[in-house]
Amino acid sequence: MNFEAMRRAVRLKGLASATAVPDASSGRLEEASIRPARLTEGPALRTIAFGSPECWPEAVAYLDGVQRSEIIGYAGSAPLFVAELAAAVRERRNRRLQTIVEARRTVVLARPAALAAAGEAVASLEAIPLPDTDPAHPLRDLLNAGEALDQARGALEILVGCRYRAQRDSWLVVDGTLSVSRQWSEDGRMVAVSKSHSILPFDGADLEQYLHLPCGHRSSVFAPVTRSLAPVRAWGLRLWPWEGKDLLYGLVRVEVAPCNGSTEQADAISRWIMADRAPVSAPDRRWDRLLYGMYSVEQYLKARP
Amino acid sequence: MLSDNPIGRVVATELKPSTPHQFHFWTARESPIGIGAIVRVEENGRVVYGVVTDGFAYSDLVTPMHAVIGADGDPVAAGTEGTIRAEIRLFTAAVLRQMPEEPLQPVPLGSVWLASDADVVLALRMDAYTRGERATGIPVGLYAGGGSEAPVYLDCDFLLGPEAAHLNITGVSGLATKTSAVEFLLSSIFQTFPAHKGSVAAVCFNVKGPDLCFLDQPASLSGEDLRQYARLGLRPEPFENVRYYAPLKPDGVNLNSLRTNEALAGNTEPLVWGLREVLDYAEVVLNRDDIDAKADAFIDFLAERVVGREYVDEMLRTKSFHVQSFADLDEFFRAIFDFMEAMGRGAEVWRTHHVATIRKVRNRLSNISTRSKGLVTDDGVSNDLPWGRLEDRSVHVVDVAGLDPLAQDLVFARVVSKLREHLERRDLGVDHVVVFVDELNKYAPADGPDTYVRKMLLDLSERGRYLGLVLFSAQQFRSQVQRRVVGNAGTGIYGRMDMDELAMPAYTTLSAATKIKLATLPKGELMLRHPHFTQPIFVKFPRPAVLNSREGIERFPPAAELPFADAVARQMRALDRRVSADAVRTLIDGRREEDVRRALAATRRERPVDVYSFFTACLGRRVPGEVSAARRGVPALKRVDDSYGG
Repeated sequence: MNFEAMRRAVRLKGLASATAVPDASSGRLEEASIRPARLTEGPALRTIAFGSPECWPEAVAYLDGVQRSEIIGYAGSAPLFVAELAAAVRERRNRRLQTIVEARRTVVLARPAALAAAGEAVASLEAIPLPDTDPAHPLRDLLNAGEALDQARGALEILVGCRYRAQRDSWLVVDGTLSVSRQWSEDGRMVAVSKSHSILPFDGADLEQYLHLPCGHRSSVFAPVTRSLAPVRAWGLRLWPWEGKDLLYGLVRVEVAPCNGSTEQADAISRWIMADRAPVSAPDRRWDRLLYGMYSVEQYLKARP
Repeated sequence: MLSDNPIGRVVATELKPSTPHQFHFWTARESPIGIGAIVRVEENGRVVYGVVTDGFAYSDLVTPMHAVIGADGDPVAAGTEGTIRAEIRLFTAAVLRQMPEEPLQPVPLGSVWLASDADVVLALRMDAYTRGERATGIPVGLYAGGGSEAPVYLDCDFLLGPEAAHLNITGVSGLATKTSAVEFLLSSIFQTFPAHKGSVAAVCFNVKGPDLCFLDQPASLSGEDLRQYARLGLRPEPFENVRYYAPLKPDGVNLNSLRTNEALAGNTEPLVWGLREVLDYAEVVLNRDDIDAKADAFIDFLAERVVGREYVDEMLRTKSFHVQSFADLDEFFRAIFDFMEAMGRGAEVWRTHHVATIRKVRNRLSNISTRSKGLVTDDGVSNDLPWGRLEDRSVHVVDVAGLDPLAQDLVFARVVSKLREHLERRDLGVDHVVVFVDELNKYAPADGPDTYVRKMLLDLSERGRYLGLVLFSAQQFRSQVQRRVVGNAGTGIYGRMDMDELAMPAYTTLSAATKIKLATLPKGELMLRHPHFTQPIFVKFPRPAVLNSREGIERFPPAAELPFADAVARQMRALDRRVSADAVRTLIDGRREEDVRRALAATRRERPVDVYSFFTACLGRRVPGEVSAARRGVPALKRVDDSYGG
């Protein structure tokens, strides 16, 4: 099969050709959905050129977390997982990044009966019980453990973010969303950059316009419909040209507190983020959407024994 | 400024593991570590010292393409990213010493500190010879690394014997390496050579220009130089006891040297040799083709039976021969040839020596007296180094810069051989002699014929240390010198070097970074190898406290070549300042130059209290010239009875 020929044929039909769905752009596939958002900048969705990239005007910090888990055994058919979670904030001053806050947790995840059976073998670890309403199923338990780990990591990230904010008032860029924390969603010096597009804010022609944002442009600001704690403002931002790759290539969703939802502020923050394209975070496969500051936090956390 | 905090940490991976002889460590980007820095690793009671031999820096950039993409292909934008990439300063160090030394294990993955003064002493094993009552340390320079500065010492047991000996210096010309380093080191040796090791003197061959012509004149040193002298515990002083020896020019009275300024005449004297001095080293003046058993036998015959003795051969002439000079020898040869001519055809052998052999030896010997006129005198009166009377801490500079290469070889061979003879008999006057020879590649080339001088240098390098005869040698290109000669040098000094030279196989043990450092060494810095140091060490040394050649020539310009009478007057005044130049000129006016030269040589040799009177006596009574009347031809006899006369 000549995939390139097929792509050319698709292009000739007026469609957008693509090569691969970028890593981590899908988030959790089971959550993929459209949740129409409310536009807060103008009556209709627009593609806005926000100007040339500009460096953040002052110190800026990046918050991210990592997790690593392994199955260590079974109690009957119920698996036991051990996971290491870590989160940190690295601040950039004079163009160099330095770790300001970090936190780590090592946890064991399993059904309560499995935890009890493991006893002192896992006694030194913090236990996170998995739901046991259904009969034990290794694969279901694996999914449950993944969800629990995501929540635990999110909590750890909120913890280090709050610790950082208690020390410094610099701009803080987080990986993901602000709406997981009321404090964050109200913080006028925080920006969330999400690589994931499992939940899309528009449908129909608006979605097509949203996904066809040219490089160096943003969408109008909108208020996403959130299931979480607090309202935020968001917009799509194209960091790298997608043409010839994929609609989601180089596309991030930026979230800020409502107080930063003005056109001027959205343009300014977009310019700052655009300047953060370089240095690129390669060889990470998500480098088209992963800011180097975030990549640096991940590398730092993974390098620490 | 040294800090108590570590400056790095040892890292080891499968691809770059720690070994007992090498390790790797990373430092902060701003670390003062550089190539040649000495570091200390400590972990669980084990201490390892190392010297940095290579350095690497890289960022987390996997491919240059990502840098291009990040900058949108604009090199200007490439330096303006908001964040500087994570980068590493990774250094490779060669192990200098492990404590404890057994069991010898890979370097532990511990913290790394910059070496302090005390660390440098331990790292270079100087604790074994710089402490205690019988310390043998000789300051050679300052190790400077990471803001620290520590004196580095050589062990004189390994520099001047008997454990090891000899020093070889390599470096391109004109960058304050070879001559300056030797001048500084000699000064250091003279100031710090321990009393229990005995006495030491130096004999230096000045082979080019005025390099070593001003060792007794003080230099004006900078504050930094003076600080370095103080740090090394040395006095910034010129040599106190220096004597210069230079051959004469062909006129026999003017010195063939650039050290002819009248202000420097007091310790400068001619080097003049006669037949005996040359004949003993006749092998030097014979090339490879000349050397055969027949020529050797005839030279031995001359040396043992003829020269300096009364030789009687009534077949040649009834009067005995007293061969003292080249002129006497030539007269002797003429007598042989006259005798053989008189014998007619078939007479080709005299006393078992074939006439061709005799002619060859005569040609070679007369050749040296012609080519080295000024060094070799016809009249047999020599002036030489003070054999047997060398003083402790004295320097004797033999200026052969103006001599023909053959004569340079002769001087070199004879001086070194005499040093050896006297040291073997322990009657030189000192226990150790440092012989400094520049341009070693000329005297002991890697390629070319196996000359007498090369064999002698090899012998000196292999056996000299037992006698206290130590060779300090220098050359631009070490690879062009006979390997065994430089290989026997226990201590090696490397100044700034040519990259082509560094590409030679002899330097493969040096890292690329060390080679680059060597190729760009600033003035006054050098790399040092010494038996106690397991790795080469970089040190800096202050400018020698003696006038360098350029300043010396400016301050003491050579005197113009003088007419015969003026040159004699100057030499007389050098012997005794009270002597009037006019009186000397008047005294020698009308005298034969050979007579004046002979009287001057005798005065120089004798060094009498009353120089003028002695010289006058040597000249002898003036024989007034006679006006001979024109001879009238003898008239033919007229014989009246001659019928054909009239």
